[in-house]
Amino acid sequence: MSVKSGYFKQSLHVDLTSGRCERRGLSDAFLARYVGGRGFGAKMVWDNLRAHDFKIDPLGPANLLVIAPGPLTGAYLPSSGKCSFISISPATGVYGDSSIGGTLGVELRQAGIDALGITGRAERLSILWIDEDETTILPMPELAGKTCLEAEGLIKERLGTHDIKVAVIGPAGESLVRFACVNADWSRNAGRSGMGAVLGSKNLKAVVVRGTKDLPVHDLAALVAEADKAYAYMRSHKYFKMWQREGLMMVMEYASAAGILPTHNFKDGTFPRVGKINGETMLKGYKIGDTACFACAMSCGNINLVKQGKYVGTVTEGPEYESCAMLGSNLGVDSFAAVLHANQLCDELGMDTISTGSLIGAAIEGYEKGVLSLADLDGQPITWGDESAIMALIHKIARREGIGNVLADGARGVIRRWPEMHKLILHVKGMEQSAYDSRAASSMALAYATSDIGAHHTRAWTIAKEIEQGKNWSDEEKVDLVIYHQSLRPLFDMLGVCRLPWIELGLNEQHYARFYSAITGRESTLAELLEQSNDIYNLTRLINTRLGLGRKDDAMPYKVYACPIQTGATAGKVIDQASFERLLELYYRKRGWDADGNPPPEAERLHSECLPAA
Amino acid sequence: MARKLAAIPELCSGCRICELTCAIGHFGVNNPKKSAIRVLVTYPHPVMRLPVVCSQCKLPLCADACPVGALRRIEQVVELDKSSCISCMKCVEACPFGAIYSHGALDYPVKCDLCGGRPKCVEKCPKGALRFIPEQSLGESKRMNNVLSYTHMKEIEFTEQGQQRTIRYAEIGKEELS
Repeated sequence: MSVKSGYFKQSLHVDLTSGRCERRGLSDAFLARYVGGRGFGAKMVWDNLRAHDFKIDPLGPANLLVIAPGPLTGAYLPSSGKCSFISISPATGVYGDSSIGGTLGVELRQAGIDALGITGRAERLSILWIDEDETTILPMPELAGKTCLEAEGLIKERLGTHDIKVAVIGPAGESLVRFACVNADWSRNAGRSGMGAVLGSKNLKAVVVRGTKDLPVHDLAALVAEADKAYAYMRSHKYFKMWQREGLMMVMEYASAAGILPTHNFKDGTFPRVGKINGETMLKGYKIGDTACFACAMSCGNINLVKQGKYVGTVTEGPEYESCAMLGSNLGVDSFAAVLHANQLCDELGMDTISTGSLIGAAIEGYEKGVLSLADLDGQPITWGDESAIMALIHKIARREGIGNVLADGARGVIRRWPEMHKLILHVKGMEQSAYDSRAASSMALAYATSDIGAHHTRAWTIAKEIEQGKNWSDEEKVDLVIYHQSLRPLFDMLGVCRLPWIELGLNEQHYARFYSAITGRESTLAELLEQSNDIYNLTRLINTRLGLGRKDDAMPYKVYACPIQTGATAGKVIDQASFERLLELYYRKRGWDADGNPPPEAERLHSECLPAA
Repeated sequence: MARKLAAIPELCSGCRICELTCAIGHFGVNNPKKSAIRVLVTYPHPVMRLPVVCSQCKLPLCADACPVGALRRIEQVVELDKSSCISCMKCVEACPFGAIYSHGALDYPVKCDLCGGRPKCVEKCPKGALRFIPEQSLGESKRMNNVLSYTHMKEIEFTEQGQQRTIRYAEIGKEELS
């Protein structure tokens, strides 16, 4: 069944080398099969790879960066403010994506764009200015070295309006830090996969958008009726108010109690002083406002201000759980003000907080264990909880100074320079692991190992379920849940919505099929959409295998197999490599992949059809 | 009873559900840029999210600026007569709060009409940041905050029937007693 509405049926292609900007039509077949967001991006990146015979330098001009909202982005339904960045990742060298909340995607849609593709490299540092139907590449060399906030201010001044949306990179993106992020709405970030470095390599400081178009909706009355049911459900949920108050910060206490909180570079599973960096501490002393992404009732964002002491004047939206854990307990930092400050630095310099926290944690442990010498640290020692040394290191990474120049190349760069560090760094495929300790749950290890972008929890998050189930959970059930998550969670990124109403408040996922049907007029069941999402998972897998990855890369790092968690409810836990391998084999079988993890040959045929042209 | 649509910036999260609700209700389109209420956000100095919407002034400057008399205050609402509007948008410029909006695809300004007496944005706001309150209640919370700023609030914790409770009270300064 074909798509009747929901799209502008247009993509914008910008080649920064030649300066050419053109709008191209998107065919109904393309829209129906790839849905939007990550789906569009994966297909476009795949086509680009094929056109370049699979030889693409992630930081070279041929690498295509796609920014794509989904058909649900901007619509009247819960948390519809999401938009994806898709490219070959400089962190992993393979498929990478990252989604961003806020309002950027909505504005792109209102400018009539379903997907924006950027290739080439501008001669001088520039911004891309999409003003409704007009697109201009505007050189702004004066933005060099500016922080995200400074740059946004200067851009608004130059264009003479504040009524625009700005996605911007900081100094870290410009200096090609491999985990640089893209910042929009001041403190929302497309954090992972190094999308900021891709923009930096293209000499593009910002993408600036203004749009005013009506979003196409097939049946607005049906959409409103369905959305009202979803909003009403969320507002009646017993944890709804708690979400608005604390957001993801409430996970700190849970994770510490459950023994899965990254502490001291994942040596420990619990942080005795977690009370000093938890949601309650935030509420009592720091929070000055709630903030929400577009059309979101949960408002998980917390705006915090440090009112006194060393870091007085620090304002940031955040931290949320990942940032607080990776920059707090993982580094042994027990001052919430310091965590806030580190978070603000990462946002302003434009770096992913998870990777930054992970690499600094590894550096501290490396020095503690004698793997790194004082000379390696440029003569400046660093220990757990050493706030000023940590802040200094964040600056050095962003500007690639001294040891910062090595850390800026991510897990792989550090291991290349100091091979022994492989025992201390937690990463998969070159992406540093998120803030859930997988040694506590083998299904979480499987989720990290088989995630297409590396050790990130975005594709599957099964750790809470496994802890709840304990030993009563069979391998079969673990693999099934990982695969279900890997179908459903990426579907949110295809549709252009946030997954939190589902995962955190239990909003029934069936709603999303009805939203999609009402907006596009293409009647689809959830099962059908999940099937499509699975096709995209096969496609991103195919991208990775064609770029040389295989079973050997679906492996957890040394620490996960060899070093048991030292303290907390999970003390002593470690992943048994042999049983993990069995789990992986079962996963491949259930996915229909071969023993080395190659997707079925039909996937290649299916996705190689030429569809984008109208 | 005369009622006013009031926004409480401290509660607003900037989610823009009000904008969508307004545009869908008045124009039948999913387009926040066609809303008569818009959330203005500033960050980080100061951190502010303020829904800007028509105050239905009793002496409306927008009506004064209208060369064809298309804006008139009828009962509680400054109403726009679309049939006589010439689309000059002078009202948009005249409003001291910038609370009337224009959109390139519309031939008349976008202005709050209080949804005929039951503003839908108030119902849909998930934060309770929008209130439709009796006119004499305007400024109520500001007054209360101002009063509280004069007191030195203290907290004591105690246990009542096994439950931990807190009571707050204002301690009068010793110098005031002597």
